[in-house]
Amino acid sequence: MTSGRLQKLNLFGGIITVVTLLCAIIWAFPIYWGIVSSLKPEDEVVRPYIELWPETLTFDHYWFALTETQIGRWYINSIVTALGVTVLTVSTSMFAGYAISQLRFPFRRTLYWLILASFMVPTQVLIINHFVLVANMGLLNSWAGIILPQLIHPVVIIVYKQFFDQVPKDFREAAAMDNASEFGTLFKVYMPMNWGVTTALAIVSFIWSWNAFLWPFLAVTKNEMMTITVGITQVSDAFGVYYARQLAAAVLAGFPVAFAYLLFQRRVTTAITLSAGIKG
Amino acid sequence: MADISLQNISKSFGAVEVISGLSLDVHSGEFVVFLGPSGSGKSTVLRMIAGLESIDSGTLLIDGKVSQDLAPGQRNVAMVFQNYALYPHMTVRENMAFGLKNIRLAPDEIKRRVEEAAHVLEISALLDRKPAQLSGGQRQRVAIGRAIVKEPAALLFDEPLSNLDAALRVRTRVELAELHQRMKSTMIYVTHDQTEAMTLGDRIVILNNCKIEQIGTPLEVYNTPATKFVASFIGSPAMNFLSGTTSQGKTGANFVTSDGLTLETNIALSNFGAFELGIRPEAIRISDTADGLPAHVRVVERLGDRTLVYAVLPDGTQIVAQDSGRSGVQTGDKVHLTFDPSQVVLFDAEGKAHHS
Amino acid sequence: MIRDRKKEALVAFILILPFLSIYSLIFVYPTIDMFLLSFTDAPLIGKGEWVGLENYTRLPNDRRFDTAFWNTAYFVLLSVIPGTFVALAIALGISRLQGRLQAIVLALFFLPYILPVSVVYRLWDWTLNFQFGIAMHLFDLMGIDRVPIFKVTGWFMPAVAMVTVWWTSGFSILLFLAGLRSIPNEIYEAASLDNTNRWTLFRRITWPLLWPVTALVLTIQLILQLKIFDQVYLFSVGGRPNDNLVMVYYIYQRAFVSNDGGRAAAIAIVLFIIVIIVSVLNFQLMRFAEKRS
Repeated sequence: MTSGRLQKLNLFGGIITVVTLLCAIIWAFPIYWGIVSSLKPEDEVVRPYIELWPETLTFDHYWFALTETQIGRWYINSIVTALGVTVLTVSTSMFAGYAISQLRFPFRRTLYWLILASFMVPTQVLIINHFVLVANMGLLNSWAGIILPQLIHPVVIIVYKQFFDQVPKDFREAAAMDNASEFGTLFKVYMPMNWGVTTALAIVSFIWSWNAFLWPFLAVTKNEMMTITVGITQVSDAFGVYYARQLAAAVLAGFPVAFAYLLFQRRVTTAITLSAGIKG
Repeated sequence: MADISLQNISKSFGAVEVISGLSLDVHSGEFVVFLGPSGSGKSTVLRMIAGLESIDSGTLLIDGKVSQDLAPGQRNVAMVFQNYALYPHMTVRENMAFGLKNIRLAPDEIKRRVEEAAHVLEISALLDRKPAQLSGGQRQRVAIGRAIVKEPAALLFDEPLSNLDAALRVRTRVELAELHQRMKSTMIYVTHDQTEAMTLGDRIVILNNCKIEQIGTPLEVYNTPATKFVASFIGSPAMNFLSGTTSQGKTGANFVTSDGLTLETNIALSNFGAFELGIRPEAIRISDTADGLPAHVRVVERLGDRTLVYAVLPDGTQIVAQDSGRSGVQTGDKVHLTFDPSQVVLFDAEGKAHHS
Repeated sequence: MIRDRKKEALVAFILILPFLSIYSLIFVYPTIDMFLLSFTDAPLIGKGEWVGLENYTRLPNDRRFDTAFWNTAYFVLLSVIPGTFVALAIALGISRLQGRLQAIVLALFFLPYILPVSVVYRLWDWTLNFQFGIAMHLFDLMGIDRVPIFKVTGWFMPAVAMVTVWWTSGFSILLFLAGLRSIPNEIYEAASLDNTNRWTLFRRITWPLLWPVTALVLTIQLILQLKIFDQVYLFSVGGRPNDNLVMVYYIYQRAFVSNDGGRAAAIAIVLFIIVIIVSVLNFQLMRFAEKRS
């Protein structure tokens, strides 16, 4: 290869890198723009020209959202329901995944096929019957009512099953030689060996549930029971036509999940890749 | 420390019977090695003793107690796995204590036993480390430690050295022998490595095709192999085999090679016919005179202390002979080979050995 | 291993019981209930009369169903294929970067995926705002007349599709990156020794080796976008919802606005069947592709 050709290649590569960087900045720009706008006074927000940085930096809109609206209450609703969904999904899926992977019992294969088949059923089509069910149970406008229909995550079971399948058989045998009971083997050997998966799945479940819109939107009619994801768009009179206030509320709603992602980047991306491998 | 007795034990996987009617007694304090090629059933037998494989019929006595239906943890035996199976999330101490906690032993008793075992195995300094922070040899010791803290009736080893490099394997082998000397406990050890079997075992059980070929001390199986399989499996380089026929001679059977040369033996036979003659390389002498089997030297390996001579008989049979370190034999030489008559073995068509 | 079969089955049963009861309650039972409901004229809550196939037979003449069906198909077309190729291009760009820079750039592209839909809605509603949106400055610059994008039917679906691509690409990018990482470097090294140029390298090596991932991404996106609701609903507020109907939106309208449980269930069943057909077709196609390679 001549040095001229090499330079040409490097130049081309350099251009691609610069283009990628530019695209990344443009891509994330709406997020930046939303945050910056929420930090401007309302009159600055509606100026007819572009200002990439506020002339006067203000946190008034955040203060307003936190004190004058029910956003605190919505935060609590979101945290409680997302945690509930996470704990219930991860624990029930772990138990079921362990049983399907490690134990022999009648109809084991049938159960597995049922779980695989349920990938195909979109939960969105079940909203009517979920609503009837939850209404009949008297759980509309309650945390339990928001949580319950969100507990179908067959993918979590499959990920667990695949992880437990990969654990060498020796560990199970070593545990048997060590007199561990079936539950002891699960809780003291298999579960701690897979903490990485459990935390990753838990973080992702939390994000999924925090972001859920359709069901919490249907299950709740009272303002004080809304999750933050629903609340910021549904209670229009809470913010009025103040763009900066609306954006401040949106930033507050997105902050916990964005923060969780930035904090646990690796775990989030692995868990999402894992869950996709079999979603198709 | 206890006797283990397998009486007429059988097992099948589906329709295939893998072990049938196997019987064996392991005495208290004895080091017994199961030796055989892969697929010979040696690991299956060990796992049946451990309770990791079920026993379809027959009786397993551990310390006189009928044990074939007991769960693995209740048999009072401990096992060292080939891959060690150390729990990766537990420290060395927790790994060793796990089995003891499960039987609800008092905490100070657990502490005492773990520390004692760690002292014996010289891993006291490693107790608070995780398996990932240990070298291969250290993991191995922890695996042994996890077994001995249970103070079991017998220790079972499933090819425990196969994951170590060659140098470490030799060292660990010596340490295992020492450990057995010191603990005097019953040990059953599975391997496919004849050197491990010969150096470690009080007795060797040689298995092939899920059947016991021979049970004996290392020297017994070496010097008086019961079958052709044992003769060929033990010893390096392997025993030489010549095919031919036998007939009645003066002192015993006469062996006639396919080239028509007659070798006199002092082995008494009741039936004659097609036989194979077995002779170990070190029992072959390369003579300067014209008596013995004529052979053509193909390759000479000079190992310093001895010389291995690879030669071919006129009928094409390959022969390995062992000569002294200062042997003058050269590649391409025509030589004559004579056999030490006391070390000649004859194998009948079923592979059964006949010794003098 | 010596196993007490009865005990083992009992333990297994205890372990799967929580899952099984939840699954029966919120999955098996509602699915059956939905089928039954679709044959009645029941309101959302309460009993109805058995009407046979009537809820289904009226669908072909239902103008709103027609809109919802074709809008969904249009939306899928606008979001799935461009979304996949945008994600592939971005992944190719990211995969050239290294270390911290790669992590940061990936984070910038991935961040939208992590945000709740309502936040995405607020951000883009603001960016594309008719009066004050920063995008409108761009329109002015390029000499295009400003449009109230989400209030004009022709603009609505393409705009929502674009926002959806922006929102969900992070996920596809991750899958493409994983796929690119699994292509061994030796292949590229061998090819570069053969004096292969970049385009040939992509066309003959990267693209064929990446095809299984591309098929997976297309499948996941397709099934996901068939179930679109949130964005369409949010952006329609204050606009013209009846022109922007998609399938799930129509189910919602029928059930929760018009209080027609039975008719809504019939539409849900239709969507349900479409999703299943697409899933099965996809599955067969992927198996076929796997056999060929």
